[in-house]
Amino acid sequence: MVTKTEEAELNRLESQVEHGGGGAWEYLCLIRKLKIRRSDKVLKHGLSILNDPKKRSSLGDEEWTLYEQVAVAAMDCHSLGVAQDCIKVLSKKFPDSKRVGRLEAMLLEAKGCFEEAENAYLSLLEDNPLDQVIHKRRVAIAKAQGDILKAIEWLDKYLEIFMADHDAWRELAEIYISLQMYKQAAFCYEELILAQPTFPLYHLAYADVLYTLGGLENLQTAKKYYASTIDLTGGKNTRALYGICLCTYAIAQLAKGRNKEDKESGELQSLAAAALEKEYKSRAPSKLPLLNSTLKNLRL
Amino acid sequence: MTGELRYEIAQTAYIKLVLHALKHTTSAVNGILVGRFDAGKGLVEISDAVPLFHSTHIALLPSLEIALMQIEEYYGGQGLSLVGYFHANERFDDYELNNVAKNIGDHICRYFPQAAILVLDNRNMEALLKVKDLSPVVQVSSYSFFFYMLSSYQAST
Repeated sequence: MVTKTEEAELNRLESQVEHGGGGAWEYLCLIRKLKIRRSDKVLKHGLSILNDPKKRSSLGDEEWTLYEQVAVAAMDCHSLGVAQDCIKVLSKKFPDSKRVGRLEAMLLEAKGCFEEAENAYLSLLEDNPLDQVIHKRRVAIAKAQGDILKAIEWLDKYLEIFMADHDAWRELAEIYISLQMYKQAAFCYEELILAQPTFPLYHLAYADVLYTLGGLENLQTAKKYYASTIDLTGGKNTRALYGICLCTYAIAQLAKGRNKEDKESGELQSLAAAALEKEYKSRAPSKLPLLNSTLKNLRL
Repeated sequence: MTGELRYEIAQTAYIKLVLHALKHTTSAVNGILVGRFDAGKGLVEISDAVPLFHSTHIALLPSLEIALMQIEEYYGGQGLSLVGYFHANERFDDYELNNVAKNIGDHICRYFPQAAILVLDNRNMEALLKVKDLSPVVQVSSYSFFFYMLSSYQAST
């Protein structure tokens, strides 16, 4: 996940490179650092560097990192020939390398030869049982074959060993959500919030899951987490503002029979509604009537 | 219900759905179909499509509720209503509707029983690039609330 400033910088570099302004190497380095998936651009600009002998030699030792990056991007874009060529170059330079072995197994995956890829990974794991990337590739194979339950099982085992891998927790949460196993997804987000309590997107996702689960307690907790998202993002998160309105309405619906237990919630909803109106006025004034009718539906 | 039901999808709707799926190649996407039902002619006109979400947001309730509210409000003003649902799966060869898609489809069918559920067909999309075969890249899913209602469809140009 990237911050707004990082994303802005990335987009600036991307448009610069796309319009022939140079800076391809910086762009590719930033993508590598932020671990973003823009494989078609990486492939295009990476190849333009690699195919130009002058640019290639100016990279020095970084050349091999670029070959690896372009190989993975090529596999993502299904340009298997390009990937094969890059891997060939790398294996000539680094024979018997585990890193290259991993790329070769990934190529088998990309070709759809999942069994062979699995065997290749298993043999790589024998020499290096704690290689995180290989463990995660095995999860990816299960997912690609559509065996979601196996993917969950492997990801669970992985997280027992590597508990601090946030991306893995997020992946597990997303898998659970796609299977509508919201309770388990909530647990994953709880782990993420514990690990990174100031990262607003986890609060937001957690609130969304709680709202989807429903029930008075979950809705009240969801409202708290939408509020904390708003706090952490300085009031700029539209989804959290909408979330507050939805939660307040849903809680009121549920608590209709009860005796004025949550009467203080009205203020938060009106504050959220006011903030939404202000945002729409400044960013999308033509959609203001739509917002107003939505808010009317949600008012008590 | 007697007679065959026909579905016509306008070019705008069709293209919007496909473009949305192409923008998010690595995740599942979904969308809502809006249009009119002409009971006299037995024709469901899908005149527009609203791309909704990609990846996790598909299965989460808050955004869906707000979206449905706003769609009904906006298109209601133009005399159009919800007539169907579109879903594209994450994997290339996956044409099944998973539980989430079925739940949303059910919800829409309760509201409009003649609703169409469209699923993206990646094989036809690939064929478009190679062989210039112009068959539509969406298929009406075999899953429906009332099987006998979903029969043929045609893409209008």
